[in-house]
Amino acid sequence: MKKALSVLVSLILILCLCGFASAEGTPYRIGICQLVQHVALDAATQGFQAALKEKLGDGVVFDLQNASGDTNTCSTIMNGFVSNNVNLIMANATPALQAAVASTGDIPILGTSVTDYATALDISDWTGATGINVSGTSDLAPLDQQAAMLHELFPEARKVGLLYCSAEPNSKYQVDVIKGYLADLGCECTEFTFADSNDVASVAQNACDGSEVIYIPTDNTAASCTEAIRNVVEPAKVPVIAGEEGLCKGCGVATLSISYYDLGYATGAMAYEILAGGADIASMEIRFAPNVTKEYNKEMCDLLGITIPEDYTAIE
Amino acid sequence: MNLEALLNALPGAVAQGLIWGIMSIGVYITYKVLDLADLTVDGSMATGGAVCVMLMLNGCNVWLALLCAIIAGMLAGLITGIFHTKFGIPPILAGILTQLSLYSLNLAIMDFKANQGINVTKYQLIVSQRNVRTFDLSNPIVITLVILAVLIGILYWFFGTETGCSLRATGANEAMSRAQGINTRKTKILGLMISNGIVALSSAMLAHYQGFVDVNMGRGAIVIGLAAVIISEVLFGKLFRNFALKLLAVAIGAVLYFIVIQIVLWLGLNTNLLKLLSALIVAVFLGIPFWKANFSAKHSHKGGQSNA
Repeated sequence: MKKALSVLVSLILILCLCGFASAEGTPYRIGICQLVQHVALDAATQGFQAALKEKLGDGVVFDLQNASGDTNTCSTIMNGFVSNNVNLIMANATPALQAAVASTGDIPILGTSVTDYATALDISDWTGATGINVSGTSDLAPLDQQAAMLHELFPEARKVGLLYCSAEPNSKYQVDVIKGYLADLGCECTEFTFADSNDVASVAQNACDGSEVIYIPTDNTAASCTEAIRNVVEPAKVPVIAGEEGLCKGCGVATLSISYYDLGYATGAMAYEILAGGADIASMEIRFAPNVTKEYNKEMCDLLGITIPEDYTAIE
Repeated sequence: MNLEALLNALPGAVAQGLIWGIMSIGVYITYKVLDLADLTVDGSMATGGAVCVMLMLNGCNVWLALLCAIIAGMLAGLITGIFHTKFGIPPILAGILTQLSLYSLNLAIMDFKANQGINVTKYQLIVSQRNVRTFDLSNPIVITLVILAVLIGILYWFFGTETGCSLRATGANEAMSRAQGINTRKTKILGLMISNGIVALSSAMLAHYQGFVDVNMGRGAIVIGLAAVIISEVLFGKLFRNFALKLLAVAIGAVLYFIVIQIVLWLGLNTNLLKLLSALIVAVFLGIPFWKANFSAKHSHKGGQSNA
């Protein structure tokens, strides 16, 4: 009985200690859920953390979890965040955002690397802000400018192949949008989709046979197998316009690139406004990448004999 | 790291586990009752959600959408069954083929979008992660338990009927069943259909719970299903002899699996290593019966000598 009592008392004391420890200083606790290990997503997460560290210093702690590409794990991670009662959730990529929205209606959720919030969250009357506990940044590159760029570099091209992975909603969305812009410029578009990295080579070959120029959106699967694509497009001498820098570096000739680090940084700034500035997340509009740059892949351009205008910068 | 956070996280783990528990019962029917390893589930685990969500987005009633999801899952099972019995393809390969084709079919169902969100505030979802800490009838744990009880009841009744018994006999001894005049091709197809119908039901509920359906949702589902079946067997194999209790044990196995994952996350494991951990959990539980058998064999051998 005495023993039980002493155990009980010490337990209470420990709990008290824990209570005091957490009451002291009370840094903001932020849960970050990233869908998968990936260069662009990693950069966005780093940018987000850097922005908050810069503004809050030790006043913020991060719980960084990676779902390794498993959408079910996103739910498990979100469950942990909500039960931990974090001050804010940062969801990196679409399924992470959807899992976050399903798990809480109160905790503010910021998304990043999400292309279209209206589609992801099934909001029909889109006004620029979600009206719920969700806001964030979109990785949508200016598709009209990308189409214009393709036309600028290859004004003679009429047949454009759109190469992307059928498992990625963001790619599908971009392809649907850019198709309209390219049609306005007099191009005829054909879609070539692959299911995973295993059939990317044969689909890319198919795309080369049927097009003068290939466009690849910000597609994660394509980004992870650029070498396989390059092995096909280089011998076929078909230039690739890519949606982002990583893809362009691997297999493209030029891109209009957004920086995922800057995007994450902008998301971090939003988090600061919400946590320290008391901004209302429901009315915060979705923000876009702060600046875009015209870039080209010197090696590929030399190989294919393409001359690039002055205002493009080479990717190192 | 505080204990309160872990306790707070448990309802979520239990709800997720119960939904996967329904799926695991589907796996139990093929893996244990029918003695077939069916990999169709990796595909039908997305099919159910896809059918249910797309129907609901187009204004269909939630219960009707669930029913359609179950039927779609049963069709997937039928395809595997036909591959196996009419094409003579070994069951594992037949399942893989169906799973592969289901990727394209699931995309087609979802209007060639890889991911479709469904808004919890706009649609009447049967379960949602958002309500997991509320204390009323909208709590997904309560609803899933009710559905689980009804499902176990129906299965208990079914496996007591003549058709159900012939299905069990097929799994126990196929040659003997045929000798008794059972058409084992039919029973196998039926078993696969029932199993995948249950998996699709679970898939639809999971889509509701997490608020979206994704074409990759079922990837690795079979591992979770098998883990649940094996955990239940190791922990409750001696305890639960009754068929209904065995099914219940499978659901508990799935809950335990998700609780373990949640605890491991709480302990601060690097989430990049989560897949490795899942595989290790399954391997250890698969190993336990084998080690036990080895141990008792050695033990009885020694015992025999001393008696001699």
